[in-house]
Amino acid sequence: MARWFDRRPSGGHGQRPERAERAKLRIGIPKVLNVWTTHQLWLGFFASLGIPGNRVVFSSDTSEEQGREFGSGRGTVDCCYPVKCISGHYGELVFGQKRKIDILFSPMIYSMPSFLHGHVADSLACPRVMAAPENIKSGFLKEKDVFAEQGIRYVAPLVSLVDPLQVPKQLFIAFEGVLPGLRFEEVREAVDQGYRTLAAFDRELRSRSRRILEWCAREQRPCVMVLARPYHMDAGIGHEIEADLQAHGYPILWMQYFPTDPDLLDWMFGPDIREGYAKSVFDISDVWPSSYSANTNEILWGAKAAARVPWVTCAIRLTSYECGMDQPTFTPVQQIVERSGTLFFSFQELDSTKPAGSVKIRVETIAHYLQRSSRAVMERKAAAMPAGCPLLEKPACRAGGTATADGD
Amino acid sequence: MRIVGMDVGSTTIKAVVVEDGRVSWRDYQRHNTRQAEKAIEFLTRMEQELSLAAGRDLVFFTGSGAGLIGPLVGGKLVQEVVAVAAAVEKLHPHVRFVSEIGGEDMKTLFFNESGAGKTKQVYMQSACSGGTGTFIEKTARKLQIPAEQLAAMPYDGMSLHKVSSKCGIFAEADANTLLKGGVPVEEIIASLFEAVVYQNLATLTKGNTPLPQVLLLGGPNLFFKGLQQAWRQHLTSLWEDRKCILPADADPADMIQVPDDALYYAALGCIEVAGGEADGVGLYQGTERLRWWIDEGQHQEKAKSGAKALVRENDDLSGFKAAFAASRGELAALASCDSPVFIGCDFGSTTAKAVVLGADREILASVYVPSKGNPIEDAKALFRDIRAKARGPVAGLALTGYGKDLLRDILGADIGVVETVAHATSALHVFPDADVICDVGGTDVKIMILRQGTVSDFRLNSQCSSGNGAFLQGVAERYGIALEDYADKAFQAKAMPGLAMGCGVFLQSDIVNQQRKGWSAEEIMASLAAVLPLNVWIYAGQLQNLRAAGRRFVLQGGTHRNMAVVKAQVDFITAKVPDAEILIHPYSGEAGAIGAALCAIEAHDAGRPSSFRGFDAIEVLDYRSTTSEHTICRWCPVNCKRAFIDVKLDGASGRPWSKVPLEEGWERVISGNSCPKGLMEDANEMRAVKTRMEEQRRELPNIGEMVRSEAFRRAWAET
Repeated sequence: MARWFDRRPSGGHGQRPERAERAKLRIGIPKVLNVWTTHQLWLGFFASLGIPGNRVVFSSDTSEEQGREFGSGRGTVDCCYPVKCISGHYGELVFGQKRKIDILFSPMIYSMPSFLHGHVADSLACPRVMAAPENIKSGFLKEKDVFAEQGIRYVAPLVSLVDPLQVPKQLFIAFEGVLPGLRFEEVREAVDQGYRTLAAFDRELRSRSRRILEWCAREQRPCVMVLARPYHMDAGIGHEIEADLQAHGYPILWMQYFPTDPDLLDWMFGPDIREGYAKSVFDISDVWPSSYSANTNEILWGAKAAARVPWVTCAIRLTSYECGMDQPTFTPVQQIVERSGTLFFSFQELDSTKPAGSVKIRVETIAHYLQRSSRAVMERKAAAMPAGCPLLEKPACRAGGTATADGD
Repeated sequence: MRIVGMDVGSTTIKAVVVEDGRVSWRDYQRHNTRQAEKAIEFLTRMEQELSLAAGRDLVFFTGSGAGLIGPLVGGKLVQEVVAVAAAVEKLHPHVRFVSEIGGEDMKTLFFNESGAGKTKQVYMQSACSGGTGTFIEKTARKLQIPAEQLAAMPYDGMSLHKVSSKCGIFAEADANTLLKGGVPVEEIIASLFEAVVYQNLATLTKGNTPLPQVLLLGGPNLFFKGLQQAWRQHLTSLWEDRKCILPADADPADMIQVPDDALYYAALGCIEVAGGEADGVGLYQGTERLRWWIDEGQHQEKAKSGAKALVRENDDLSGFKAAFAASRGELAALASCDSPVFIGCDFGSTTAKAVVLGADREILASVYVPSKGNPIEDAKALFRDIRAKARGPVAGLALTGYGKDLLRDILGADIGVVETVAHATSALHVFPDADVICDVGGTDVKIMILRQGTVSDFRLNSQCSSGNGAFLQGVAERYGIALEDYADKAFQAKAMPGLAMGCGVFLQSDIVNQQRKGWSAEEIMASLAAVLPLNVWIYAGQLQNLRAAGRRFVLQGGTHRNMAVVKAQVDFITAKVPDAEILIHPYSGEAGAIGAALCAIEAHDAGRPSSFRGFDAIEVLDYRSTTSEHTICRWCPVNCKRAFIDVKLDGASGRPWSKVPLEEGWERVISGNSCPKGLMEDANEMRAVKTRMEEQRRELPNIGEMVRSEAFRRAWAET
């Protein structure tokens, strides 16, 4: 596994004049939807093709101002705000850059590189989310071709990220003729580099999550786990609700980056496997048989994880207005978490505006119950779990990373 | 042959008669909810003045009342939007955007060139009063502005104030508050125009840019000069933002037209549509059947269409009353004068309430004062009343409601309890395994879903007035019936009209309509109570699945003192959840204050001594109030004129950085803001608070924050 993170030389094509030309390009990527978990894949991919990180521009976090300034009049008839807001991101990349971008890259992510893949039926993206670029681009083509007018190449390939063998072909077709002198071999290498980069990032964040959990276990302090889709990390979509709770004194974990170390998972799920409830530590068929959607699968798995770790005394569910993918999961997720005695609160129907008054009331409500019940929840959950929790036994001794949980 | 185009709208009827391609007659009049009577009056006049003849001439109808009236006289129906579009295409081939605002609806039409022809995109809403003519008129009536004056009132050059654009009833309340705050009516009306244009653009453009040329149609757009100015202001600045290319030398404002006959476009469209119809379609059949309907038909329909009454034949009303009235709470007697007492205060937006509990959690006293807008004076009045009723030493004080953070230090409260926790604590104290709390107050609706002894979900609706108690009260007042007698009146009804769930403003006009059909006050009041649960749970609370919420429902809040409402709630809930247990909080209106007091007892049991300042100290609280240029809220364009109320308080740190500096030993309370943001003085305070929050956050990690700050910079392996 360690070899994954070895630096590789960037190949022998550094000297080709086309690469120098490419290095002058600026690529804009809307920071939306599943880009929130595949960011590093794209950065690694472009870096390998000779376009460094400082020439890859992500749009800012979603905001109503962004929508008003850059997206209004280009919107779509879609009740899904995470999709609808993309008009603003496109607009910002097209009109709002000091230095113009040359390419607007907006991947249609068909399937996701999920850590549960192989243990679930499939790892697909929500179809509405996958097709969002098609939907949004029409707002920039309807009255006139804004991209052409601004001299921007619009590249929006369909990518099946769960299938790394397909991806080079998909991206080569998309970028051939757009990136000077592009060769298939290069793209294959760049895709590999992208996956490695993403894996390195994920591994680092999982290790930070582990250190947070170890600190909680050592200090007997509670923490909060967020169960949400990746783009709820966007301050304009999830409205930083979890950060408001953090300000009340609780470290925050996100299910996407829950540690997946075998020792920990074996302690959490081993009894289930031995008793025949689950086939593996990543199995969710006991709670979610139709496991086709990657983000949904991860939310369900996250609920199982939250239910098993004593120091996660509260899980927060964030969902956007009228999310059809989330709706059938409300009850199972809630029940999985609550059966373990863990507190569960959901913020549903999030939309463009942060309902500041209502969020404040809810956060204060949650903080009240967290403060009142956390100790009892930790004790009850700890009593239900087997002895020998690796979080307590192995003090943090991992390399890399900068996060500390020992700030108090 | 004459062709009649008649537009039967929600507030007026507009009609044109065309003879040989020329308009020979036209009129519009308000029908005051008597659509059929006004239609027959128009047709009769046409017969007399123009010799409109049955069996020869044609009648085409459009508008919300067309479906009823048209067929009775042989008329052909034309969908409203189709009618307007037909007229616009004929008369204004270059128009790209049309806004038609009616009394109770609004429409937008976008015309786009597409190859040889044109495509149309049409949006309409008629479910909510926000953005319609009624929205303006309702408030103008309240402010007693005559129609002619309203029509001439300007928008340009007026300072604008925050008015709820979504709900006509709240807009009226906002206007009232502004008026009390000394805002001139001209500015209030200009703010209403602003709200209407905003609401139309916000809900009915759906991603299309309203491009020139623009046509404004419908009564409100025609009559209100200020509304036209508001459109011009918004659209021209939109065009500037979007860099729309206008014809050379064109003044953008000229690209927005309001034709003199803007009222008649739907009626004119009918005539256009008539031209393309086969012979004999829409052949006028005279007024006999319409006359019959007015005299008899509608009353027969009343008898058929009514819903069953609030009290059905085999319902046991006295049993119901006994079961639910028994749960009214009584006050306990104080054991002795030196037993410690605990005070819970609920500072709401319209009232302040307090209860006094004994150490055994028994309720000793309950007091209530209406809010006068100055939180310090409200607090003084409340504590004066408490003092008169509670004699024991105060061992704990807890606050809830909006005033909990504002007044906590000033009164020396031991804890501030968030409203949800206060309500849940109080409900769970009385009913330990409650699942759902439904609190219907005067101006808001709160639904709290409890699980594991916590508030797991929470719905607050204060944006839309639908379902709240003030509306019920308003109707009762109009009938001259005291609120205490509401239930008995409503229970007398043997049948009742079916009112539609939804917007309170439209409910009001629906009531007028039902009244006209012959429904009595009792019957209408019964049906209003019956529609309330729908508005509370479904329209305002957005909670479709009551079953999933639980089985034990606690009803509280002042509106549930009305037994007619309780009866309707019980019927509604048990229809959805047959095994539901419905409980009335014994202290319906004071639940929040009781919850706070219970939390004060809990804190006291945990060994915390009270920091209550004492009645004397509160009585002599020294404060000064400032309203000036510097207290105006600058967080948004609404610019609320706030008051800074500075209270003398030992140990307070003052605000040396403020534009209205405050020395040490003084504490500031901000009032007169219309949203929570206004509680923050200005950017200086915002910075101070932000820094404090960031420090708190830095102490403990958040994985999401790490993704936000690190994932999008450069490839991880590169660093």
